[in-house]
Amino acid sequence: MRDWEALVKQRLAGLALEPEETTEVIVEVAAHLEDTCEEMLRHGVTEEEAVRRALSQVGDWKVLQRKIRKAKRRGQVMEKRVRQLWIPGFLTLILSMFFLMVLQKSGLQPRIVMSGSNTVLLYVPWLLSLPFFGALGAYVSSRAGGSRGTALLASVFPMLALSTAYLLMFPIGLAVEGIIGRQVDFSAVATALLRDGVGWLLVPGAALIVGGLLAHALLSTRSSSRSTAIG
Amino acid sequence: MIAPGIKRGTAELAVLSVLEDGPLHGYEMARRIEEQTHGSLRFTLASLYPLLYRLEKRGWVRGVWETSGTGRRRRCYRLTPAGKKKLAPIRAEWSELFRALKRLAKVSHA
Repeated sequence: MRDWEALVKQRLAGLALEPEETTEVIVEVAAHLEDTCEEMLRHGVTEEEAVRRALSQVGDWKVLQRKIRKAKRRGQVMEKRVRQLWIPGFLTLILSMFFLMVLQKSGLQPRIVMSGSNTVLLYVPWLLSLPFFGALGAYVSSRAGGSRGTALLASVFPMLALSTAYLLMFPIGLAVEGIIGRQVDFSAVATALLRDGVGWLLVPGAALIVGGLLAHALLSTRSSSRSTAIG
Repeated sequence: MIAPGIKRGTAELAVLSVLEDGPLHGYEMARRIEEQTHGSLRFTLASLYPLLYRLEKRGWVRGVWETSGTGRRRRCYRLTPAGKKKLAPIRAEWSELFRALKRLAKVSHA
């Protein structure tokens, strides 16, 4: 009796799917080959010829491998990215911005550091809340199977979004300059961005990442102690 | 025999239609399609499984492992409610295509 599973396993060695999924594909393809072969044997074909004909269904095993991998992975990468990065990232962004709005509505004033030409505004109550939001983003990402890097990206997502918005100001400024036909003093713009960047990007980003790091460390400790208990 | 390019487009319809009658594993499915089309449509292993996995990803079919009386494990596929829902518009599209071809090139279908 031919070991079809061993044969298929060897031919589809580079399938690169999850181990359980790979085994399922191997068993299924092997069963198909076995059924094909058995039917031909029932019709009086010699075993050698039956095996040859069964295997001839697959012209190129590498092509089949690629097709199966493509079919199995379809949508998986995107789905993972959504669950591990975009959902926790946007959650962190929405909650942190909503909390900032609530603080502003309630009349809490930002703290001014280094007044004069280098004024830096620090929204202290908001900054104090950011580690919690960062931790939440990292927690949701980690629970969805996100790596350490992805979890931290999700926790600092609000600052990445704001940085992108800040950076877009330069091309937008240039476009405005072109439209209104008047020169904008970019050194003043750059100074303003740099100054505001400290209070609105760097310090909040640090606060978010501290929360993200703490949440990830806590989750890692828990999961490692759980696996130790099981093992 | 039908040219591979045309067959490729009909593959989804063939698999979903044959599963409408009940769950089947891959080999049975290939045989059933071949029998019902009098050999005009033939699915090889290499064309069938990537298609089944794609349909499964879309949620149109669902594969469940079953063990036969002889102890053999086979993955049986059945049409999901989403697959059943999808079958009607696919059928309508093909009917429309056949009608158009009939008008254009005097191609008729049964």
